[in-house]
Amino acid sequence: MLHNRIFQFLLIYTLGLLLLLAVKYIFGLSDYVIPGFWLLWRTAGDVSVRYAVDGVNTLSVAIIGQMASILLAFFIGIVGRQATWLGTIVKVAAYNVQAYPIVAIAPIIFILLGDGFLSRLFIAAMICYFPLLLSVVGIMSEPVTDIEHFYQQTGRMRWQLEVKIRAFENLSKLTTVIAGSSTLALAGTIVAEFIAANAGIGYNIRIALYQSDLAKILVALFMIGITLSIYQGLLEILGHSVRKAWTS
Amino acid sequence: MWKSTALVSFLVLLLAPKSAMAADEVTYRLKWLINMSTVGDVLAQSQGFFKSEQLAVTLKPGGPERDAIRELELGYAHFGVASADQVIKAVAKGAPVVVIAQLFQINPLQWIYFEDNFTLNGASDLIGKRIGITFGKNDEYIMKALLNQSGIALDQVRLFSVRLDYTPFFHRQVDLWPVYANTQGIEIGNSLEKAGERIGFLHPVRFGVNFVANSVVTSMKRLADDPELVRRFSSALLKGWRAACDPGFRDKAIAAVQRYDRDTDRDTLKVQLQETQRLVSPQGLKHIGDIDIAAWRQTEQIMLTYGQINRPVGIEKYLIVP
Repeated sequence: MLHNRIFQFLLIYTLGLLLLLAVKYIFGLSDYVIPGFWLLWRTAGDVSVRYAVDGVNTLSVAIIGQMASILLAFFIGIVGRQATWLGTIVKVAAYNVQAYPIVAIAPIIFILLGDGFLSRLFIAAMICYFPLLLSVVGIMSEPVTDIEHFYQQTGRMRWQLEVKIRAFENLSKLTTVIAGSSTLALAGTIVAEFIAANAGIGYNIRIALYQSDLAKILVALFMIGITLSIYQGLLEILGHSVRKAWTS
Repeated sequence: MWKSTALVSFLVLLLAPKSAMAADEVTYRLKWLINMSTVGDVLAQSQGFFKSEQLAVTLKPGGPERDAIRELELGYAHFGVASADQVIKAVAKGAPVVVIAQLFQINPLQWIYFEDNFTLNGASDLIGKRIGITFGKNDEYIMKALLNQSGIALDQVRLFSVRLDYTPFFHRQVDLWPVYANTQGIEIGNSLEKAGERIGFLHPVRFGVNFVANSVVTSMKRLADDPELVRRFSSALLKGWRAACDPGFRDKAIAAVQRYDRDTDRDTLKVQLQETQRLVSPQGLKHIGDIDIAAWRQTEQIMLTYGQINRPVGIEKYLIVP
């Protein structure tokens, strides 16, 4: 799984790069518009170590943000699964609030929390929280009638058992959603860093943009892609192990 | 009767000079959103100076993600405004760009500070101060060059990464904050003065750092293929900037900017205009648009010193001085 993810990313990145270089050479554009191969190579040599460290910094914030949002999404999802007034309110609120673009409220977050770690974490968590929540609410609200009926009839149904049954029956969906939400968490962290933070790979992209340096941006994109591929691959392996452990 | 009238009209149209029939369509990409820093550009448009040179100019506001030099090369714009550091970086990477006018003779980028915090008599007063800079932007290099020229090492000051909001400055966590003196400087200065604060500005040029700001650029190809178009555009544009610095045009200038910048009140715009005039024409109207070659050379040297370019580019070869 891991090497598949990395291979897929390398393939897509290389194709994208080749397309850019083709445009550059066909239209005779300068290195200022699209950097040539040697300039890219030189830039990669200059900044790749620093960008790799910053990429890991960004990923660590994204992972913490994702974990926080998974916990919160499960908590709200479990509360919201019930057909009670509380459950209905939670569901309606979740559907409505997720329509708000986080980028629009990000400046308020930065003003209130400053441009350090907390703002990055909060924005990362918010961006990946809502899609996660919708999936968890959807899965947890859907009864698995065949199995649940037995426990209801024998009077042994408890909320913990209900949650376990629904999670187990939808394990594959849940692990896919969690793996997918890592992309959102990373994107959220990068957006936060790009807008106003002063650390991480998104901050480097901002500086490269100030310097009109597309070569640095392309190196940063490589670092983001490779870091995300490794993280997603690891999440998939983890999901696979969990499924295996549960089914055995 | 109608046949002869139609024939005469047709002949008049046929024989009329081309210039009288259709103006040349030109796209002009600005560096930033339209505010008082673009007053000459909007006046050239609103007063019909472009039109009288047979130009139909589309003014496109800029922004942080807009890059006029890239747009020139890709053919999306005919003329644009770029900062000197952008031009020098572009030239270093082989972009075929030339500078046809320098809009600001004095860089509007300055540092605002509370006068009751400290007195700025000389560069040595900066020692130990917390100085805001935007890492990666030209204020970083201007401040570093200023400190270097004044013999102050970087570890003798504390550099603070400046981003969206001014809260760290208002809370006095930072002593000096970079602003564009003719726009943000006036707005923030007004609010602080209303609150009873006394503020001052650090002018890098007084410390011997003359880093060039916004200039008008076009592509080498356009200049070679259609020098007449470049001349007409340049002439109309500088007429706009001369009008902007002419007291007789004050109300028109303010009205032209206010059409786009609706959030700034008239009194503030009036002060912004005065400050802009001081930066654009410190030596009088006839020097508007002049290219300060010595300042360009110093800008190139600063960029070379701070690793923004890896070799000298000989920037004077790209400056079109009439």
